[in-house]
Amino acid sequence: MRKRTLKRGLTAFWWLTLIFLYLPLAVVVLFSFNAANSAARLTGFSLRWYHQLLGNEQIITAFGNTLILATCSSVIALAIGCLIGYGMYRHRHRKLGWLIVLIYLPIVLPDIVFGISEMAFFVQFHRLTGLLQPGLGTMVIAHVTFQIPFVALIVYSRFVGLDPSLFEAAKDLYATPLKRVIHFMLPTIKPALISAFFLSFTLSVDDFVISFFTAGPESATLPIYIWSAIKKGVTPEINAIATLMIGAVALAAVISLAFNRQRKV
Amino acid sequence: MLQTSQTASRRHAVVSETRHLLFTVTPGAAWIILFLVLPSLYLMAVAFMTNGPYGLPQLPLSLSSFEQLAGVGFLGWSPGNLYTLLRSLWQTVVATGLVVLVAYPIAYYITTCRARWRPIMLLLVVVPSWTNQVIRTFGWMNLLAPGTPLSNLAEMMGLISPNMGLYPSNFAVTLGLVYNFLPFMVLPLYAAFEKLDTAQVEAAQDLYAKPVRAFWHAVFPQTLPGLLAGVVLVAIPAFGMYVIPELLGGGKAMMLGNLVATQFSGGSNWPLGAAGAILMLIATFIGLFAMRRIGKRLGGGEEVVI
Repeated sequence: MRKRTLKRGLTAFWWLTLIFLYLPLAVVVLFSFNAANSAARLTGFSLRWYHQLLGNEQIITAFGNTLILATCSSVIALAIGCLIGYGMYRHRHRKLGWLIVLIYLPIVLPDIVFGISEMAFFVQFHRLTGLLQPGLGTMVIAHVTFQIPFVALIVYSRFVGLDPSLFEAAKDLYATPLKRVIHFMLPTIKPALISAFFLSFTLSVDDFVISFFTAGPESATLPIYIWSAIKKGVTPEINAIATLMIGAVALAAVISLAFNRQRKV
Repeated sequence: MLQTSQTASRRHAVVSETRHLLFTVTPGAAWIILFLVLPSLYLMAVAFMTNGPYGLPQLPLSLSSFEQLAGVGFLGWSPGNLYTLLRSLWQTVVATGLVVLVAYPIAYYITTCRARWRPIMLLLVVVPSWTNQVIRTFGWMNLLAPGTPLSNLAEMMGLISPNMGLYPSNFAVTLGLVYNFLPFMVLPLYAAFEKLDTAQVEAAQDLYAKPVRAFWHAVFPQTLPGLLAGVVLVAIPAFGMYVIPELLGGGKAMMLGNLVATQFSGGSNWPLGAAGAILMLIATFIGLFAMRRIGKRLGGGEEVVI
């Protein structure tokens, strides 16, 4: 009897929490289809904010910047992180405490400290040498810095999960290290590489604080554009672009669910 | 003769292993040292410099930035920065506490559901945090602004003065923090609940323990590692939060992250901002260290992995 009341209470609490979690997103989606230029009341259905998006050059540029930044940084981070992940595995019996500290540093450092450190460093470096002007280049550098640890840890854990005798077998099969890398290592860790790439890409698209502090005047990404639009006073176009980004996330969620299902079968 | 050749080949192996280590690790290590360790060291150095024109740091070295952080200015001492610091601590503690209160039943509830539903339920909890933080916070701005149903309700109940809206306010910041960090607590707690040894709970019930006692002695200690991991994942980023107080708080709900950021953009006093950043780092490491200690003591010497 008591148990059933408990279960019912928990179920109610679960649904309330779900409403809490999805309400802010729902409001954004709802107002993106609002006919009136108002955040306070709904007047009717319209797609005019989506039409305006297509004509807004700043948003198109910001979208392009976001994609360029995410792609470049993920590719670089994948190469560097992959090497370091393998190094950590192969030499796991050595004392590599300093390396572990180094790899965890970008993860534990608060975003804001990370961002302003890079910004102060880039600004002074540019003043002294004329190199590394704040812009997409510095943003790529900063993003790679926080992506490397995730790639390294994913690749490392994939190697740890492998049977060590596989490495011996590969040594017998392929004479040169290069052949071993191409025919054995890369195919074996392919799933880890794919998920590391997607995680890096997502982290980059999702990041606001670090991008914000390392960006130049011309290199706004979508989150930065949205931020400055909110700060200047909300325009309903923001709801439309935010809805598209929420849609992308929802799609990713469905794909990951399908992927999970498939793996189990 | 044989022995020397063996030592030679062994030495050769050691050298080639070291070369392999250097080859694989150097690019990444150099990248992080060059683009994160050096910049952070530079930032720490900046904290000990003097504020020059345009907010850029200058020699001579001094502790004036720390004095300013403590509130000492041209006009004597003012409590503004101290309030900001205390507010950051308070917001972190309250938000973390609320997150625990919501996440605990949710994590437990998920484990009581059918196994095939659990991944979907976890996904439902996590998906909102995949959307951009700025967008999520913007959603709350829309919900809490003056004239919205939630604000009107609060007004009717006499919780806020008329036409004020629920945002900007300290309350909105707390709400935003709880919203933002809930999944970070649900996941580790769920992992702990899933491993729960129910025999202990049944034993407690067999011994006529009241539900509260049974929970406290049989359930709570088992979920403690998950709880501590969650607290670390929530409290540390919450203390350094920038976006949420900036958008939902307004000037009167500033947190340490906003104080630091302002010095690098609008306020332009790099040394003061750097001093704030050092304070944030110290708090972060104290937090990590304290959690490890508590975890070790309560976990019966078992290492709590964070």
